[in-house]
Amino acid sequence: MKVAVFWGCRILTSQYTYEMSVREAFPKLNIELVDLSETNCCGDPVKSMKDLAANYLAARVLALANKTGLDNLLVPCNRCHFVISEAKNVLEKNERFSQKIIEVLKEEGLEYNPNVRIWHVIDFLHDFVGLDNVKKAVQKSLKGLKLATHVGCQIIRYSDLGRVDDAENPRKLDELVGALGAETVDYAEKLDCCGANLMYSHSDSALSLAGTKLSVLQNLGVDGLVVSCPDCGLMFDSKQKDAGTTVGAKLDLPVAYYTQLLGLSLGIEQEKLGLHLNQSPINQLLTKVSP
Amino acid sequence: MSMAKPNVEAREKILSKLSGRELVNCFQCSRCTSGCTALKLLELKPHEIVKLVNLGFVDELASSDIIWTCVTCLKCVQRCPQKASPYHVIMALRNLAVEREVKVPEGYLKAVSRILESGLAEAVQDVVTKKMEIFNRESLKLPKIAFPKESFQAAFMKIMEER
Amino acid sequence: MPKIGVYICHCGLNIAGVVDVEKVTEYAKSLPDVVIVKHYTYMCSEPGQRMIRKDIKNHKLDRIVIATCSPRMHEETFRKAVAGAGLNPYLLEIVNLREHVSWAHGDEPEKATEKAKALVRMGVARAKLLEPLEKHKVSVEKNVLVVGGGIAGIQASLDLANAGFKVYLVEKAPSIGGRMAQLDKTFPTLDCSACILTPKMVDVAEHPNIELLTNSEVTEVKGFVGNYEVSIVNKPRYVDEKKCVGCELCTKVCPVKIPDEFNEGLSQTRAISIYSPYAVPKVAIINPKHCLKLKYNKDVCGKCLEVCEAKAINFEQQPETVQIRVGGIVLAVGSEVFDATKMPEFGYGSYKNVISNIEFERIVNASGPTDGKILCPENGEPPKTAVFVQCVGSRDKRFHEYCCRVGCMATLKQAILTREKLGKDVNIYICFNDMRAFGKGYDEFYRRARDLDINFVAGLPSDIRSDANGLLHFDVYDKATNKLLEMRPDLVVLANGLIPNSDLGKISALFHVSRSADGFLLEMHPKLRPLESVMAGIFLAGACQGPKDIPDTVAQASGAAAKVIDLLASGEIELEPLKAVVNKDLCSGCRICESVCPFVAIEMKSENVEGAEKLRAEVVEAMCQGCGLCVSTCPTNAIKMQHYTDEQVIAQVKTAYLESGEKGGS
Repeated sequence: MKVAVFWGCRILTSQYTYEMSVREAFPKLNIELVDLSETNCCGDPVKSMKDLAANYLAARVLALANKTGLDNLLVPCNRCHFVISEAKNVLEKNERFSQKIIEVLKEEGLEYNPNVRIWHVIDFLHDFVGLDNVKKAVQKSLKGLKLATHVGCQIIRYSDLGRVDDAENPRKLDELVGALGAETVDYAEKLDCCGANLMYSHSDSALSLAGTKLSVLQNLGVDGLVVSCPDCGLMFDSKQKDAGTTVGAKLDLPVAYYTQLLGLSLGIEQEKLGLHLNQSPINQLLTKVSP
Repeated sequence: MSMAKPNVEAREKILSKLSGRELVNCFQCSRCTSGCTALKLLELKPHEIVKLVNLGFVDELASSDIIWTCVTCLKCVQRCPQKASPYHVIMALRNLAVEREVKVPEGYLKAVSRILESGLAEAVQDVVTKKMEIFNRESLKLPKIAFPKESFQAAFMKIMEER
Repeated sequence: MPKIGVYICHCGLNIAGVVDVEKVTEYAKSLPDVVIVKHYTYMCSEPGQRMIRKDIKNHKLDRIVIATCSPRMHEETFRKAVAGAGLNPYLLEIVNLREHVSWAHGDEPEKATEKAKALVRMGVARAKLLEPLEKHKVSVEKNVLVVGGGIAGIQASLDLANAGFKVYLVEKAPSIGGRMAQLDKTFPTLDCSACILTPKMVDVAEHPNIELLTNSEVTEVKGFVGNYEVSIVNKPRYVDEKKCVGCELCTKVCPVKIPDEFNEGLSQTRAISIYSPYAVPKVAIINPKHCLKLKYNKDVCGKCLEVCEAKAINFEQQPETVQIRVGGIVLAVGSEVFDATKMPEFGYGSYKNVISNIEFERIVNASGPTDGKILCPENGEPPKTAVFVQCVGSRDKRFHEYCCRVGCMATLKQAILTREKLGKDVNIYICFNDMRAFGKGYDEFYRRARDLDINFVAGLPSDIRSDANGLLHFDVYDKATNKLLEMRPDLVVLANGLIPNSDLGKISALFHVSRSADGFLLEMHPKLRPLESVMAGIFLAGACQGPKDIPDTVAQASGAAAKVIDLLASGEIELEPLKAVVNKDLCSGCRICESVCPFVAIEMKSENVEGAEKLRAEVVEAMCQGCGLCVSTCPTNAIKMQHYTDEQVIAQVKTAYLESGEKGGS
């Protein structure tokens, strides 16, 4: 099964572990990833500057997906998924925007196709591939691991746009973790934001939000935190130390992308999944996984 | 006590940037502010912003810092009982601030100039592990980034300059 | 040749302020068959009407056109005036020069005058073709069906029964009393709800004119206003109502525990039990889904049989169908409470100490699961901090847009009762958006709550959280002080709104009554006819028409009863002749009219046509509302709308486009 993939900016420029783990794990589930011929920013930071331009960038991504001839586009980043979802809506409902954007795309020889279906890693694995198929592919169970999930904000909100999971009680990521044999715990702060978006303008506050949530998670006594968005990964894993400093807490929480754990349970070597690159104390978690 | 004067045109401008007029339905239940991620640290009050826009006090908001404190967690959109969607109002105010060339945080300006230059909003970085090893895309055997072709820059500039 | 009289009303300045009534009068004189034209300031006044009557007599007029305000205002008045002069009242045509001309085109008086001329021309053309019509009388049954035995149904039944009507009161539950029986004290007086309700319940049970059918539902409704045939199924209690003495020995020995519905599931009762402490009738009922003997159809248990001295238990009991004939129906089926599990952010259904207002009502009630002690469900301790959250599921585009009307007052009451029972040992907060205390004594009640140091927070929370130990906490922004309050309540009570009864879909289909956009039953007119449904003879009372408190419910119930009495008292009703009529010679029996009629007013009758049995459509006059759907869909033009025939309408259309300068042609 072929699916086009759009990585966005963060994954391609720094959150390599997410990309590595997706590229390694998906073929084991019989999914062939087809990269776009070229890529551009989905438009996320531009939404705050000029809505038309942001929607254009998202539409360009969809037009590039259209070029591959495939109907499905995998978008592993929460923010890209939201931006592109809103853009689809805007292009459908706003005549003026739609006309302008399609016109500019044409000048580049690109054609916008509203029928390209976008998927996030979570719903792609849970619904498209199917939870049972994920379960079946597991070679090394992660039984014994007690994990917490952070699904993020922009793939569950706002419901009217049609999102990846339920806004108040998202369960898909937990079920995907469960499919690997591990256990997940619920916690009151589950729906709280990682704060990544504030890195553009108020980095201290961003780190404070991340640090606060990490402290709570640490006190839960879990073996690790599972994320599925490069911005959340940036805040909780890459910037864990800074976050800890900001809130005055010693943070030692292993943080991994779901696809890294998926890769582990599919029998892929740790290095191929970029687990040596995680900034959080991931070894604490890895030692608990049976060899 | 401020005796500010409302600006009806600016209010209409914001309304025209939104897909609907629901912001006028806001009845100040303050559910958005009660759950706002940016309230405690940055004092962002979405209900206040919506009310100010509705009363026409748009100019002071457009040139304020407060509109740049939104984390875009979308909780206010999800839970507003009147679908007034403070997040979209804040985005519209940001767009207006950019149009008027009033204070825009550096981070955003940098992102846009990067997109213009390379097509991506972020610069390619090396990753340093805890063992002080340095890795990049090449050493990790990841495929080269397919930056957009030349025509992209002109197209993006064109769209950025559209009225 | 008809002799038409045309009367142009000034309506003070309402019409004459825009339309040049003299020009219109002059113009009308030029129209064919018009014998006399007059204009006057207030045509509906005594002198105006007298003028018309005199002219009819003196000039032997046989058609009248009155150009005045909307027929909705005075058509009846003018019909009576015309009839008073001996002319058939349906030979009158009203032309609307106010709502359709002067009020709509106030800024263009010249064009308005031209339009007035055109409308008068059209009115004259129609008047010529009007036919005399007679109202028909139909005899009615002087019995009434009341559906729903809550306070609305109870009040309506008592009023009707006292007025001498036989009332069939049908209630779905095993006992009457409805929601009001579940309440503790009622606002704004803090009367004990059961104390004011139960006497009425007993009155209903003992009234010679009321036949009480509990544990029953309506299954079919046929007929028309004044003559309804209703089928009711009496579901089996498996206990003989006439034998059971209500001793409750059976309940004590029953081994099967089930959630107590009357206590909102907060306590348990048994598979055989009496519905509530105030049940009327006080008769036990067996729940067939849980009773071992009925569920497994075997020779098991039967303990209740052993102890019942009255020998009232009968496991073989079958449903019984009752057919009744009634002249009028009052729908009083009540409403339900919003299910807050639809708002998972508040934790209702997950956190035991987050409860609904109706659950709180049972807790604070002395006959409830905690004997009236306010205790947190999680640990059974009284709360030190109780927080009430308003507008749950109401005023919310995601769920129900309307205001539930009683939430604020109910919460004020519950907060006051909390203070009265727990004294100073509890901190009470009410998180609100608006405080609606609109009725008599209501704002004084609100002040009473403030007097008791109940804290009002001007803001609603986004979510309610529970930590690992089950302790609740949430933030709420108070707009008055601009502070984010960090609440740590022991008990949270959600003011869940009243929502349309889930049975309304069934009710709507059974009785052919419509529902409004909010889901409640639709009234004929929200201001002027709030007690009538859209079906003639079916009236609405209580929360089924819209959420409301007890004073309004009782008022509406008495009002509905009065409407029924008004309808049926004389023993017959008069039907307006504005109905469809089928010409059987043209009818092909295709039944299209039957399928489009929204009022079930067309019946197919078997007729002998040239020796063969054929179906021909016939309009049931009493049901027909004159909407015209059948007329326009009939493929053979076999149906005519009396008083709005095709010829009459086409004549108006034809004359609409003549230039006003021309002499009006035909």
